[in-house]
Amino acid sequence: MDAILEIQNLCKRYGDHVAVDDISFSVPLGSVFGLLGPNGAGKTTTIRMIMRIIASDSGTVLLDGIPVDDDRRRIIGYLPEERGLYKKMKVLEHLVFLGTIRGLRPGEARKRSSAWLERFELDEWATHKVEDLSKGMQQKIQFIGCILHRPPLLILDEPFSGLDPINTRALKDLMQEMAEEGVTIVLSTHVLPQVDELCSDICLINRGRPILYGSLDRIRAEYGGNTWRISTGVEADDLAGFKGVVSVHPLKKDLLVELKDGEEPNDLLRALLDRGHVETFTRFIPDLENIFIRAVEEDRAHVE
Amino acid sequence: MWNRIYAVIRREYLERVRTKAFWISTLLVPVFLGAVMILPAYLAARGAGEFNVAVLDLTGRFFEPVQTEVERMLSGDNEKLSVTLVRQDPGNNVDATRERLKAEVEAKVFDGVLILPADLPDEGTPEYVAPNVSAFKLINVLERSVNTVTVADRLTGAGLDPEAVSELTRRPGLTTFKLGKGGEETSDQGQSFILAYVFMMIIYVTVLMYGIYVMRGVLEEKSSHVVEVLISTVKPFELMLGKILGIGAVGLTQFLIWAILMAAISAPGAVAALGISGMELPTVPAQLLFFFVVYFVLGFLLYGTLYAGIGAAFDTEQEAQNFQGVVTMFLIIPMVLMMQILNQPDGTLAVVLSLIPFFTPMLMFLRMTLTQVPVVQLVASVVFMLAAIVVAAWVVGKIYRVGILMHGSKPKLKDLVRWVREASLRESGIRN
Repeated sequence: MDAILEIQNLCKRYGDHVAVDDISFSVPLGSVFGLLGPNGAGKTTTIRMIMRIIASDSGTVLLDGIPVDDDRRRIIGYLPEERGLYKKMKVLEHLVFLGTIRGLRPGEARKRSSAWLERFELDEWATHKVEDLSKGMQQKIQFIGCILHRPPLLILDEPFSGLDPINTRALKDLMQEMAEEGVTIVLSTHVLPQVDELCSDICLINRGRPILYGSLDRIRAEYGGNTWRISTGVEADDLAGFKGVVSVHPLKKDLLVELKDGEEPNDLLRALLDRGHVETFTRFIPDLENIFIRAVEEDRAHVE
Repeated sequence: MWNRIYAVIRREYLERVRTKAFWISTLLVPVFLGAVMILPAYLAARGAGEFNVAVLDLTGRFFEPVQTEVERMLSGDNEKLSVTLVRQDPGNNVDATRERLKAEVEAKVFDGVLILPADLPDEGTPEYVAPNVSAFKLINVLERSVNTVTVADRLTGAGLDPEAVSELTRRPGLTTFKLGKGGEETSDQGQSFILAYVFMMIIYVTVLMYGIYVMRGVLEEKSSHVVEVLISTVKPFELMLGKILGIGAVGLTQFLIWAILMAAISAPGAVAALGISGMELPTVPAQLLFFFVVYFVLGFLLYGTLYAGIGAAFDTEQEAQNFQGVVTMFLIIPMVLMMQILNQPDGTLAVVLSLIPFFTPMLMFLRMTLTQVPVVQLVASVVFMLAAIVVAAWVVGKIYRVGILMHGSKPKLKDLVRWVREASLRESGIRN
């Protein structure tokens, strides 16, 4: 698959503090790409370097295979984490301004802004000052501002922070709709259920380094490994003695059984059936939160 | 690049010109200036009218001379002031007469009472009693008449001829001429100084005011976090430039409106319509107006850039106060040194100071109105200012780029120096 955005060996340090330490990843065209990581991991710094808001110490950012420059970066629709609007400006005027600094003609910007305001049911607010709007409404205005020029690539830094569930839903729907139209979306967040729901690919950053990167399906399979979720009458202690079993952990009323690599799960199932009742026997697909926490902990252990 | 800078300029300009504050300040200044110019004429005109003044002459011999003197003074006057003096008999009881006259003034039989005490030639002071003592012209005429008559009386008493004394003590006066190009002389009674002073104050106030607007604008973008959205598409330097140019355009618009208003007021028909005929409004030479605009633009670009840097470096106006004070200081110094320049507009001190870019807008302009500044110095002042603006833009551009994304700790001077150094180092590596 073609990559619309490629990050190669990006580094950034502030004095002694290494904010981004040799990050590389590529964002497949048409994907919804999750840039994940705990607070302070370096997500925002990475994005700011992609957007050339801050200069990188070293490394390259390729957009459509060509190094990004001040002109080409403008095709990206960017919603920063620290966002704001001119409070005294009228809503429509503000959107027109945001459109024109992205290269639209004022007339075209006005037309598109009005259409988007209508779609978000904000048209009656067009002539109000920004400061009269609720926080959620202001956030919608900001989102409209960064998609006015119809960017093929959207970079959204914590787009859902501060939104209520209804507005979150509306924004998610719009993002999915845009993704279906072929817009590539890079989503930076530490709220994992949203990633599960939206993203096809992820890069997990911790302490300025990528520790997990690839398609979500592949990562899940990898982290799930040869682990099975079993509901059975057999006791956990007994199960641990079965051939090929590496570990047994309780998960709610079930047991999580990890088998050695290459061990055939059907052998375990047969052995279990010999011993008693088996209600369910399924491949365990870890949710992202588990993967996230495990990866971050492993990374920490690795460093120490 | 320019269409984005234009978008920034357009926003800055329209958002400011559309505010009520802009129009109020734009219209209030001419009203104020107009009042300053028209008020004296108006007050003088208030002297017009017919006055009926009772005179209680206790000296018994001053009434006729005073009346003659008043008539003499009014005869040469083309304004519509006429004074009728009515002699009153003091009677047996002076105090009773005085009270009666006051009552008659109250009853509007007379407009006022002039009391000439018996000891007037020696220590006495004449009194004028009226319900309205703001008829300046009338009071002026009465005072001067009584003075003249009293002095003449004293001189005669000392055995001198009042006319001979007046001839001997006539003051020659002093007429001043401003030497222009080619030895051409123009009579000048200080109008050019007042004009220079007013214009210099306008440069000072507008450069300061619009400079502070730039600083507030940058602070607002920083504190509202809107700046990050902007610099993801517009380069920080372009944003800074657009802001300064947009706000400068607002200032020029204000001047244009003032110029139009002044032109309208100065039109002959308008003066007549205001009923202040014969009043002379100061005329402004075109050359002076041209340099006024030039020095405002240069001064604003220099100070606006510095204020932009201060806005970018700090989070709040309170934090910015110290640095803002330093920059404002440079604007105030010329005002403090003005007296030195006035005394010797061609002196070494004046020449040197007026060539320092921070002071040029005010001091060179002041010198221009007072003396014939050599063209070399004018050109040099403009060149120096342009150079200073380029240097300021270069340095402030670096501070701006780092500063607008900085929040939290208040930077010190050494931090600002470090920002400039780091930004220039980086620029030599990667173009950003």
